[in-house]
Amino acid sequence: MAQRKTAKRTRPPLRKPVSRAPSWLPRELKEHLLPAAATIGVIALLVVAFLAYRYLTTPAPPVISATSASLVISTITSLPATELEQVGAGSANNLIKKVSGTPLTGPGGKPEVFYLGAEYCPYCAAERWPMIIALSRFGAFSGLQTTTSSSTDIYPNTPTFTFRGATFTSDYIDFESVETTDRNQNALQTPTSQQQALVSKYDTSNSIPFVDFGNRYAFAGAMYTPDTLGGMSWQQVADALQQPGSTQAKAILGSANLITAAVCALTGQQPAAVCSGPAIQSIEARL
Amino acid sequence: MTARSDRVLLVAAAAAALGGLAISAYLTVVHYAALPLVCTTTGVISCERVLGSPYSVIAGSGLPTSAAGIVWFSASAVLAGLQLARVPSPRLARWHLLWSVVGLGTVMFLVFVEIVQLGAICIWCTSAHALVVMTFLITVTRVQSATAATGD
Repeated sequence: MAQRKTAKRTRPPLRKPVSRAPSWLPRELKEHLLPAAATIGVIALLVVAFLAYRYLTTPAPPVISATSASLVISTITSLPATELEQVGAGSANNLIKKVSGTPLTGPGGKPEVFYLGAEYCPYCAAERWPMIIALSRFGAFSGLQTTTSSSTDIYPNTPTFTFRGATFTSDYIDFESVETTDRNQNALQTPTSQQQALVSKYDTSNSIPFVDFGNRYAFAGAMYTPDTLGGMSWQQVADALQQPGSTQAKAILGSANLITAAVCALTGQQPAAVCSGPAIQSIEARL
Repeated sequence: MTARSDRVLLVAAAAAALGGLAISAYLTVVHYAALPLVCTTTGVISCERVLGSPYSVIAGSGLPTSAAGIVWFSASAVLAGLQLARVPSPRLARWHLLWSVVGLGTVMFLVFVEIVQLGAICIWCTSAHALVVMTFLITVTRVQSATAATGD
C-alpha cells in the first residue's frame, strides 16, 4: 500500500500544469498571478458593463419645433397668478441667502438680477424654468431658445432654455446673464471683471447656476433636483406646470415664487399685483 | 515565492498606500479650503463635475469622500509597514487582503457612480482607485503564494 502511494507521488504529470501562461514568465509567477489576472479581468468586465448601462439608460435629447417652443414659452410665462399662489414655496429648497454689498444696478439704472450658468449644466437647466417664470412676472423675455443639458453629464439631456441671445425688458429690474459654455462645454460667454468679482464674493462654493439679486440676496445651485424633468419633453413640462398638484409644478413654481419674493424685495414690492400676494409676502418675510 | 519577492511586493504596497494617502490628503485640503483643483474640466474627464457632485461627500455627513481615502490608505500603510518591520505574518497578510477587499468594493461603487451616475471621470480619484486595485492585487498574490507554500 505504502509502495503504491510512493509510486503515485513520483509519477510525472500527464500534461504541463500551466500551459496557457506565457513561457517567458517564471514558473513562480505563473502559479501565483492567476488570482490577480482573474481580478483584472473581472474589473475590466464590470467597467464595460457600467459603460454599456450608461449608454443604454441615457435618454435621447428631446426634439421640439420652433412653433411648439414658442407655445411652451407662452404657456409658462402666462401661468395664472392664482396657481402660483396656490403652490407657494411648493417642494423647492430655499437656497436664497441674504448678502450685503453696494446695491447692484444694471445698464438701465434699475436693480439688477445677475445670472451665471452654462448650457451643459443640468442644475442650470433646471433653474432656468423658474427663473423665466418668475422674471416674466416683472417684464418680458424675447429670443429664448430651447436646449438641453449635456448628454454626458449627470441628469443628461434635461430639457431647458438658454439665456444666450435672449433679451429681457422690464420697468422694474435689469437682467444680465452669462452662459459660459454650450452643452458640449465649448466656451460661449465670459463674465466681465465686475461680474467675476460678484461671483468671487458671493459664490464661494464656485457652484453654478449663481444668481445675484442686486447684491441683496444671492443663491448658487438648483432649488430642485433636475431629475424632476428626467425624460420629459418641454411640452410635457409645460403641461405639468398647469397642474398645481404635479411634482414639476411644486418644484418649479415653488422655486419661481422664491425668486419672485427676492425680486419683490429689490423693486420695493412692485408691481403690487405680483408682490402683494399672500404667498409671496409670506416667502419674502422668511428670506 | 521567495522572501525577497515578498518584500518587494510589501514595499510596493506601502508605496501605493503612501501615494494614495497623498492624493486623498490633497483632495481633502482642496475640499475644505475651496481651492481650485489642478485638473482638466473638458469632456468626460472632469474632476470638478465629480468632486462637485453630491457623491463627493459621505452620505449623511459633510465629510468629503477623500477623507475615507485617508483612513483607508493610512490603515493599508500601517499593515504593510508592520509586515515589513517584522517577520511576515500570514495573519497580517490575510487582514491586509480583507482590508483590500473592502477598498476594492468601495472603488467599484465609486467607479459605478462616476460612469453611470455622473458620466464623468475624475483623474485624481482614478489614480487613487488604481492604487487600491494595485494593493488588492499585491495582497491577493501574497496570500495565494503563502497558501500554495503551505500546501507544498
